[in-house]
Amino acid sequence: MTRKRSIIVFWALFLVPTLIMAVVAFKLLSHEQERLNTSAILALSERAKTISETIHLTVETVQDNLTQSLLDLNQDRLKKNLIEWEQTNPLVRNVFIFTKTQSLEYPVRGMESTLEERRFITRYDSLLSGRVKFDFHQDPSNEGVNIKGMADSYPDSNDDSVKKKPKKSSRQKLVALSKVQQKTMPQEEENNFLEGPENQSIEQSGWIPWFSENRLYILGWVQKYKNGPIYGIELELMTLLSRLVIDFPVLSEKGTALVLMDGNGNFMHQSGNLKADPKEKPVEVVSISGLLPHWRIAAFVDDKGFTSARGFLYISAILLGIFIVAIVSGGILLTRLTLQNIKDARQKTSFVSSVSHELKTPLTSIRMYAELLLSKRVKDENKTQTYLSVIVSESGRLTRLINNVLDFGKLEQGQKKYLHTAFKMDQFLYQIIEAHSIRIQNQGLKIITEVEKGKYGVKTDHDAIEQVVLNLLDNAIKYAGEGLFIKFVLKKEDGDILLKICDDGPGVPKEQQDMIFKKFHRVDNSLTSKQPGSGLGLSIARQIIRDLKGDLFFEPMPGNGSCFIVRMKNHDSD
Amino acid sequence: MAQAKRNYQRIVSFFAVLIVVSLIVLNAWARTEPTKVLCRVETDRAVLPAGNSQNVVLKITLDAPPAPSHIKRPLVNLALVLDQSGSMNGSKIEQAKAAAIEALNRLGLQDVFSVVVYDTNVHTIVPAQNARNIQGIIHTIQRIRANGSTALFGGVSQGASEIRKNLENNYIHRIVLLSDGLANVGPRMPEDLGRLGAALIKENISVTTVGVGTDYNEDLMARLAQKSDGNTYFVESGYDLPRIFSAELGDVLNVVAKKVKVIITLPDDVKAINIIGREGRIKGRQIELYMNQLYGDQEKYALVEVNIPKSKSGSKIKIAQADVTYENPFNQKQEKSTGISYASFSSDKKKVAKSTNIDVVKEYQLNLNALAQEKAIELSDKGKKKEAVRELKQSAAKLKQYGSLYKDDQLLKEADDLEVQAEMIEDEGMSKKSRKILRTKSYQRKNQQLSQ
Repeated sequence: MTRKRSIIVFWALFLVPTLIMAVVAFKLLSHEQERLNTSAILALSERAKTISETIHLTVETVQDNLTQSLLDLNQDRLKKNLIEWEQTNPLVRNVFIFTKTQSLEYPVRGMESTLEERRFITRYDSLLSGRVKFDFHQDPSNEGVNIKGMADSYPDSNDDSVKKKPKKSSRQKLVALSKVQQKTMPQEEENNFLEGPENQSIEQSGWIPWFSENRLYILGWVQKYKNGPIYGIELELMTLLSRLVIDFPVLSEKGTALVLMDGNGNFMHQSGNLKADPKEKPVEVVSISGLLPHWRIAAFVDDKGFTSARGFLYISAILLGIFIVAIVSGGILLTRLTLQNIKDARQKTSFVSSVSHELKTPLTSIRMYAELLLSKRVKDENKTQTYLSVIVSESGRLTRLINNVLDFGKLEQGQKKYLHTAFKMDQFLYQIIEAHSIRIQNQGLKIITEVEKGKYGVKTDHDAIEQVVLNLLDNAIKYAGEGLFIKFVLKKEDGDILLKICDDGPGVPKEQQDMIFKKFHRVDNSLTSKQPGSGLGLSIARQIIRDLKGDLFFEPMPGNGSCFIVRMKNHDSD
Repeated sequence: MAQAKRNYQRIVSFFAVLIVVSLIVLNAWARTEPTKVLCRVETDRAVLPAGNSQNVVLKITLDAPPAPSHIKRPLVNLALVLDQSGSMNGSKIEQAKAAAIEALNRLGLQDVFSVVVYDTNVHTIVPAQNARNIQGIIHTIQRIRANGSTALFGGVSQGASEIRKNLENNYIHRIVLLSDGLANVGPRMPEDLGRLGAALIKENISVTTVGVGTDYNEDLMARLAQKSDGNTYFVESGYDLPRIFSAELGDVLNVVAKKVKVIITLPDDVKAINIIGREGRIKGRQIELYMNQLYGDQEKYALVEVNIPKSKSGSKIKIAQADVTYENPFNQKQEKSTGISYASFSSDKKKVAKSTNIDVVKEYQLNLNALAQEKAIELSDKGKKKEAVRELKQSAAKLKQYGSLYKDDQLLKEADDLEVQAEMIEDEGMSKKSRKILRTKSYQRKNQQLSQ
């Protein structure tokens, strides 16, 4: 009982820290996972910001450049130059000239214009008809005006999109490096305008993000002289986008995507292999700039988190699992060994006491009868004979017992040697029965012998087989109890010789049938059991038979009683 | 009798010599034939009915010469942009690969070749390079696997960027775009892709679009091709792809005129009414048209409707003069060609009828038919199936009428085809396939696409 308790305590001491460790490790791991996820999202949004800054910078540079080129145009050949520009520069979708008399000089309304130009005029009707001033969003007093043809919203940061003539800034130096190469206009000669009061150079310019039918268009305009024409271009947004998407960085992380979205939430471009759903909410959204109002870069992450980070969790979990399994299986192994040791120790104690007891019984008889004979008080010849025969039989039993113990030692160490001789099994059986018939009959048991016809030649160790059969016979006599007979059967099956020794005693309980061949095992293991025994007999018998390439097994008798069956190789050819 | 016989022999031998000489001369003339685009301006009738002012159809035809065989052809800078989205899986992607390899095999060592594939993302698998390392390129092409979405815009953009690597050189720049699905990443409105095409043509890059199967957006593909002066094709299954790529390359390797611009000048009293089937600009007495590229032996034309003032029988006036300017890609020189059209008037109705120029009438009718097809698509998009069918049937009837009047097989066949198409639409509604056939055919007609 104390042992059991100590094992429980041991397990408690062992399992509790392991479990605590596992839980803590798991928590740490999932924290680490979360941390990794957060840092990955952070990195992703950082990238989104960088991209959006690059786009802003590029668009700004392009616009600055175009403004500069527009201002540099020769005012004398303005229309020709603009048209030429439109035809050759992919960034220019449409051009226009708006004169001080508040009318549209180019493109002309009507059939002289292409369909595209006519649409352009319709699109910017409020501007080009003079209803709205080009610099409407530069003057705060005009801001409240509700203008037909314009959509609900204007960029939030108009200041950004409208500039005075840009000075040579560091950004402009970047033009040369910027990816979107500006088609530079042929440098026009310095204009010949005289700087009169009406031709006073004012160099106003602006970029207007314009919404028409819920689509974004971008118009750039300049006015070089106070009374000169306002002219400009409509930016080809698709060219801009087409050039921008080429330089969109490639995302290598699986399960992520950076998406460039327009004002209506349409995907303009995507980087990363996650199939992002427009209906899904992105983890991060970065607005690009007022130059492209409502355009934004959205970062999407797979529902299950980042694949790479997930891999980390999987590997950690597997490692942790292996660790715990190793600890637990080590513990189980230790416990098993301990339990086995306890059992072995108990069995050995029981073995020693049984063997001592076994040895003591015949010794007592031998000594008692020897002393009686020595005192010469027994005169009766018959009695003397009986006493002597008891002494002989008891010393025989003693010899067998000691042989068993000795054999056990040899078998355990694998040192037992066998001497193979050829003999007939049937003859051997008859000899045994004859030699032990008195002993059997003395127990009040009848001997039944069933030997099928045939040759029962074997080539094996005669003495070892005798020891086995005697062990079985001893067992049968010992445990036959209230039984009536002992039955010997000798027959052949599948070319093998079967020797059955059966009794009609109480038999072996079902749950014990697998255990009886184990060493030290006794059905009734208590020291006070009715029958003495070492618990070695059957174990030794099976070991010997198996060493001799045969087998020994148990078979319950129909009704009650038990049979032990020895199977041996038949040496005769029939 | 003998004299007569001798005379006869003399005449025969004279003609024989004449024939031989003329054959030699013709042959020599054919060999030295200048690689020049010829311009013809024709009216639907050579003799017009005298009397009130009237509308006349002018056909301005550009006859491209065959590509000269003794001069090295201009080099080609070709970018293939292939759809490798999931829907391409199976025979389509295999045939597309075969087609790409077919195109590669037709190029010369000096030509530039690149391959861009797109799914959700865009990848350049063969960066622009000379078509020399053919085995290596073929190996790369064969590794294409289909999956993901359709980033069509990005694909074309990337293809354009590969083309741009050699933009400065005198190549014929061409992107061939293959798609079988709806663009779901990037701009997807036909108008947007049209603008992309319009921007690309400014850099002399044309985009030819090939739609496979019945799930792609034909409007988008046609618009992109139209604005960039490429061809457009519809193939129902992947098995036609190698043939189409081969035909397309035949065109690209055969460009004989670039940046073709036509300016039609009308006399004071002739008024421009309308340009049929093409985009252009009417500036008072001048009509401006752009046709961009001409392929060898191709006949490209524009149809213009003009109004002619009152006239007297027996008079003759100049109706129009067409000036064509273009760049000859063989020598990079600007060249010019001019065509003038005159018309005489008569009160004799028979004479007028007899003078009908069947070719002009036919092309005019076919172009009107193309416009009718587009209108039918528009009507059916609005859910007006009946009106669409009526439009098609009316157009078919008209074609049939002209076909039987002038005994023209092409018109009759076109009419029959259209009738079948109309009946199908009547029975089953406008199927994806019918819509694609109508859209592609009308495009090919309006732009006189050579290979179909």
